Amino acid sequence: MSDEMTLKEGFARKSEVESVEHAETLSITTGNHMARTRRRWSRSSQDKRHKGQNLADNVHEAVTFDYISPGQLYSTESGRLFHAGKILVVLVGLPATSKTLLSVAITRYTKWLGVRTWSFHVSEYRRRMAGVGLEEFPIDYFSARPQTAEGSKVRNQILDQVSKDMLAYFKEGKGQLAVYDALNILAEERVQLNQQFMEMGIKVLFIESVMNDSELIKHNVEQASKSADYVGWSKENAIADYVHRIKINKQLYEPMTREEQLSYVKYINFGEQLIVNNNHFGYLVNKIVFFLMNLGEKKGCVYFARCGTSKDDKYIRDEVLNEEGLQYSEVLTDLVLKTINARRLTKSKNAVIESWKNSPKIRAASSGPASPSPSPLIPTHETLRRSESTGNTSVRQPATGDGGDEDSFVVWTAPRKRTFDTAKFFLEKGITVRQKSQLQQLHPGLVADLSKSQIKEKFPEEYREWKKDPYHYRFPRAESYHDLAVRMEPLLLEMERMRGDILIIGHESTLRVLYGYLMACSCSDIPSLQFTRDELIEISFGPFENKVRKVPMPSYRK
Amino acid sequence: MGTYTVSNAQNLRICVVMVGLPARGKSFISQKIVRYLSWLSFKAKSFNVGGYRRKGAPRPSADFFDYSNAEAYKIREQAVKEAVEDMMKWFEEEEGCVAILDATNSTRVRRNWILKLCRENCIEPMFLESWCDDEDVVLRNIADVKNSSPDYEGVDSEAATSDFLERINKYKEVYQPLQDDIDKDLTFVRLINVAQQVVINRIETYLESRIVFYVMNLHIKPRYIWLSRHGESIYNIEKKIGGDSSLSPRGLKYAAKLKEMVKESAGDRDLTVWTSTLIRTQETAQYLPYKQLQWKALDELDAGVCDGMTYEEIEEKYPEDFKARDEDKYEYRYRGGESYRDVVIRLEPIIMELERQENILIITHQAVLRCIYAYFMNVPQEESPWMSIPLHTLIRLEPRAYGTKVKKIKADIPAVSTYKERGTSQVGETYDEKRKSLHILNSTSD
Repeated sequence: MSDEMTLKEGFARKSEVESVEHAETLSITTGNHMARTRRRWSRSSQDKRHKGQNLADNVHEAVTFDYISPGQLYSTESGRLFHAGKILVVLVGLPATSKTLLSVAITRYTKWLGVRTWSFHVSEYRRRMAGVGLEEFPIDYFSARPQTAEGSKVRNQILDQVSKDMLAYFKEGKGQLAVYDALNILAEERVQLNQQFMEMGIKVLFIESVMNDSELIKHNVEQASKSADYVGWSKENAIADYVHRIKINKQLYEPMTREEQLSYVKYINFGEQLIVNNNHFGYLVNKIVFFLMNLGEKKGCVYFARCGTSKDDKYIRDEVLNEEGLQYSEVLTDLVLKTINARRLTKSKNAVIESWKNSPKIRAASSGPASPSPSPLIPTHETLRRSESTGNTSVRQPATGDGGDEDSFVVWTAPRKRTFDTAKFFLEKGITVRQKSQLQQLHPGLVADLSKSQIKEKFPEEYREWKKDPYHYRFPRAESYHDLAVRMEPLLLEMERMRGDILIIGHESTLRVLYGYLMACSCSDIPSLQFTRDELIEISFGPFENKVRKVPMPSYRK
Repeated sequence: MGTYTVSNAQNLRICVVMVGLPARGKSFISQKIVRYLSWLSFKAKSFNVGGYRRKGAPRPSADFFDYSNAEAYKIREQAVKEAVEDMMKWFEEEEGCVAILDATNSTRVRRNWILKLCRENCIEPMFLESWCDDEDVVLRNIADVKNSSPDYEGVDSEAATSDFLERINKYKEVYQPLQDDIDKDLTFVRLINVAQQVVINRIETYLESRIVFYVMNLHIKPRYIWLSRHGESIYNIEKKIGGDSSLSPRGLKYAAKLKEMVKESAGDRDLTVWTSTLIRTQETAQYLPYKQLQWKALDELDAGVCDGMTYEEIEEKYPEDFKARDEDKYEYRYRGGESYRDVVIRLEPIIMELERQENILIITHQAVLRCIYAYFMNVPQEESPWMSIPLHTLIRLEPRAYGTKVKKIKADIPAVSTYKERGTSQVGETYDEKRKSLHILNSTSD
């Protein structure tokens, strides 16, 4: 999608006439301001977007009128998942409580599920309005209850605009789920929002993010000081300013209670505790709660690699690796371990690393209990914490092997022989390797092991249909990409749950779908994403967007 | 009690410790979790302390549950110890994964004792409390309990109710619900008034989150699920497996008749029909006047290279595979195809959706139907792939709090049998007393 892509396309206009009207009601969101923010979201890859691999995270891309998402189970004429209705998700919480991260994550997941979702970030509206910088804003704008006339005027103006846009999105844009990312810390504001939308038959779910863990808050404040609001500020000034924003709102904050009689989820300390209250919405809300249960701040990365080659590269035979495939596996193992260790070393404040090389005790502590040899990974503080708490009955025991720890490393492979064997060198080094049946490659059906030209010759009609929509088209007896995505959904949640590093070794088809989720690719992009055996793909997580890096593979071919 | 050594620390082991007064649906939840996890091949088992207590006190009155009754208390204490001991043994000897300790576990002292014991054995406890002050729900649960509990066998209904209410009061005297502040370091879930409010604390593994998600989707509203295979297909007549053939004339007759059969069974209920993406299920559903959805997940087990062959051909061409499949039909994966285990994994979203939905009619295939049926009827893995589910039969399931009721409705339209017994390549059934339990039409209730 290009720079000219604007929010109004997200609202899916039917006719030109409507489009003009719409542009007026959404004056803030269209035009160059929008283009500028859009550029910021995907600056790193703006130029490459139409050339092959799409490296940008598309979670903030608009959803067009006929948009069909990767994991959509079924679609109805209204474009909504049939039994879920319209829902407004309202974030509630002080600054530095990860509201933006939550709204982006919910948007990513529900969009993938086939829900027409759009997130409305008040901070984006404000930045667009400011145009140039923060200086022009009234001093108490950032308070939930500004004292100056000017402050409350600007604040109301922006909030009114967001609320207008959200209504328009539901009414005209066929939206099903809107995510409203703002403070919403005053009870009266919440009641009013609830009333306003319920009257229109839109259910309102509040998600209140509460943080009382000072480490988490400190971390979030630091993140915020690097945000777009503070470009050109010194770190100290930025932090001081942000802390001030928290302070002025803290005294106004009215936490949600049952007495408000609203439907809400309290999300405490990044998922340490969740309280679900008055949940009458069923399906979609349960799905979101399940998702939130598994969401957490990811410290590690997800790596994607193809499996090694086999002799004839035939699907039906389930072949084993050939010699080149084995060499590839070995080189891949070294590369992944080296990459992960290099990332650990750059976190230089980690004292464990200093003494690592000399202390066999620490080296031994870095491996799991079942591993006889020392881990090839550099230990971190997390490793030490784990080895200290093992056997201590007063604390929760660490679950090894499923990626719960920040410094865990798990390899997932498909059940096919050559994919599993690609991980054999990891297994030898004592690293957890899990075979996941959902990673089974796209079933090719009757076109298995045929080349494109053979398919064209044998199945001319099917081939033509497939060309039109390679994501949804199903060759005779085969799976479509869509089928594959639905089948793989449980893996997404499991992936979200894992805090540490994951390497996924799979067939190109499954890598495409997982990549498509993490980078919010559209159906039309997914079938043509390319993964080669010459590079390792690394995806790292950010609150606003995810990032891709390609790590070249050293030579392994003879 | 001694410490139990653990060898498989790599594997996650969870003990779900139920908490709550009597008649709060704890056993219902325990059973459902076991059913769901076993079906997904997690080794799961529920340990019902009441069952152990009954050995020492088969039909106690409410006084028995008075905490000042020292002698009774000893019997109850013993029951818990035995249950926990068996549970630990099961974890160790049978490599269990998720155990459910189904008891009131109403005091903090008791819970701390379990907590410590679990952690000493590298088992992480997850406390699951069902808390309820909704009188109607409690009374409904009591009605269920007194009908199903051996404690009240042969006792007059009214007397049973009042005795049970008294028993609950005895528990109330000592009951300490889980608390956000005191128990903040534990992994726990509190279901308040069924699921009006749910508190989820420190869920740290994916498996735990799956259990919580599942429990949140459970409901006990009355409903039915109808299941049917597609009508007889051309391939059925030719004794071929797999493929994507159309219905035979008799199969089409079944499709036509299915409309009245469903109407008669469902009355005015508004159903949703789920079919697979294959021609034969859609042809079977073609006359049904309800909303229809196609699921790829409901497609027949993929026989890979053997697709489109007869069993005789398979035996001839792939004799070793043929034998291997008979030996372990659940695990055997066709070359380039699927095993029953693979089918179960892809059916999981369907089951989750079925738990949430009310009235659904599913038209699918033999192997898939076996898997779905096995979930609702708790059929063990070694048996489910051998169940006989004939063509041209509509099955109605009625999930109830303590098990599922089954009703079969025969269409009375002849069809070939596609059933293949172990050790032969011939299809067709030879009725055998020993195999009676495998014939679903002989087991009309759970």
